[in-house]
Amino acid sequence: MRRRASVALLLALVVAQANPALAYLKFGTTVGGRQVTLKWSQMPVRYFVTNVSVPGVSADDFQAAVGRAFATWHAVETASISYQLGGATNAAPGRDDGLSTLGFVSRPDLDRVLASTSFLVDAATGALVESDIFFNAAFPWSVASGGEANRFDLESIALHEIGHFSGLGHSALGETELRAGGGRTVLAAEAVMFPIAFAPGSTAGRRLKADDIAGISDLYPAGGAQALGSISGRVTKNGAGIFGAHVVAFDPATGSMVANFTLNANGQFSIGGLSPGPRIVRVEPLDDADLDGFFDPSRQVDLDFRVAFPDRVVIVPRGGDSGEIAIAVVAK
Amino acid sequence: MIVFCGAAAARGAAAQTAGAEAGRFDVSGGVSWIGQTSIGASDAGETTPSNGSLRIFSTSSDLGAAPAVDLRVGVRLARAIGVEAEAAYGRPELRVAVSGDIENAAPTTAVEKIQEYMIGGAVVWRVPGVQRPRLAPFVAVGGGYLRQLHDRALLAQTGRYYTLGGGVAYLLASRSGWLKATGVRVDARAVVRRDGVAFAPGSHAAPSLGASLFLRF
Repeated sequence: MRRRASVALLLALVVAQANPALAYLKFGTTVGGRQVTLKWSQMPVRYFVTNVSVPGVSADDFQAAVGRAFATWHAVETASISYQLGGATNAAPGRDDGLSTLGFVSRPDLDRVLASTSFLVDAATGALVESDIFFNAAFPWSVASGGEANRFDLESIALHEIGHFSGLGHSALGETELRAGGGRTVLAAEAVMFPIAFAPGSTAGRRLKADDIAGISDLYPAGGAQALGSISGRVTKNGAGIFGAHVVAFDPATGSMVANFTLNANGQFSIGGLSPGPRIVRVEPLDDADLDGFFDPSRQVDLDFRVAFPDRVVIVPRGGDSGEIAIAVVAK
Repeated sequence: MIVFCGAAAARGAAAQTAGAEAGRFDVSGGVSWIGQTSIGASDAGETTPSNGSLRIFSTSSDLGAAPAVDLRVGVRLARAIGVEAEAAYGRPELRVAVSGDIENAAPTTAVEKIQEYMIGGAVVWRVPGVQRPRLAPFVAVGGGYLRQLHDRALLAQTGRYYTLGGGVAYLLASRSGWLKATGVRVDARAVVRRDGVAFAPGSHAAPSLGASLFLRF
């Protein structure tokens, strides 16, 4: 028995507005009352591309740009995931045909959705059977090496969606500002998996960041990933755990950042896939995207606290965990 | 006055014969102070649409001044040249000052006390022409292995260190027998660390002052 995961449209990369998405570093699905991490079990993961072209992007251009994006994820040394082009297909993405298909579909009704990833999950086992990515042909696209004014960079957007395709959720490592007409403008982002796209013309999203690499390495650890470690801890306010605090681990040696959230009422968090070494931890409220872009609306996300840095250097051990870090924050 | 100086010189010459010049091996133990050194500064930045960087906050890091205990074993190879093996242990603080947060978080300093081991050696040159009966100025240059352990020994980071400096050895007593002399030694050195816990590549120099007791055999 198969069912298309109900989160299909929740994985969209959107234009200047955060749509609902899961905030977990890794996606999960519930099977028989238990949580199963959504990931591919057989390598290489085969994908197919449609032969649909749009202005500025031929079918061959599409295949090449998507191929580069897959290759970028595949090149992560500490992750074991690999992909293989199965060929071209006339089937549109979104059909439950057992083929993971990527292609353009015109959806002018989704006027803030650039692209979206959906999954077909075996409801009995939780195994990932198929994942499709549609790119909204209603937007202008480009595959120019240096980007093209007023057109979205296909390779950048594909890189983000392939992160979802591989099982990664959204990251909140980005800064935005509200636009007068609604939505948000991205000032900067340090994760390909940030849910809001850079402005048209930008190709800044073609390179994976430390946060993306940590996520894929945590999900599909390769041999080298055994040396990676993690930070875990608890964020409290007035002695009680808080949900939805964004916890960032900064590496002063590399300048890189990897983040996650406190994901239960006890305020506990865990950030995996980290190279060994000292970290500076920063805790902030989630205020750079709409809350429902990250969490189920039924969850009470605490935004009423000040940004805080614990007064200790946190150590990521080789192949182990830091031990619980206690971080107390205060109300604004 | 002239007579007094001459007598002192004669006593000194005798002591030097019995202590400073006799004996080939020194064993010393003491304490030192290694000063603060900057180990790097970096910004937490996010990539802008134009591939620039937006600073989220800044950090500036140093290894704090701290005392250390050290042990040395030396052997004299020639009248003015000796070599020594040394080991030192200290617990400096790794400090990372955070400032300039984009959301106006209060500046803070994150601290961790590390364990630091230095194991190496040095070449010691007793400066000719300025030797006194009880006082032996020297210049030393050395280096070795640096091992720094983080909190609860969760992680070890290694590197190298180099030293350059000098000092004086002062004889407190000399005698015949297997123990030829005892004395004190003071050092002033530059300690240059490479790698280890340093966040920035390159060398990171700190001043060091030390005092030790030595036994000469």
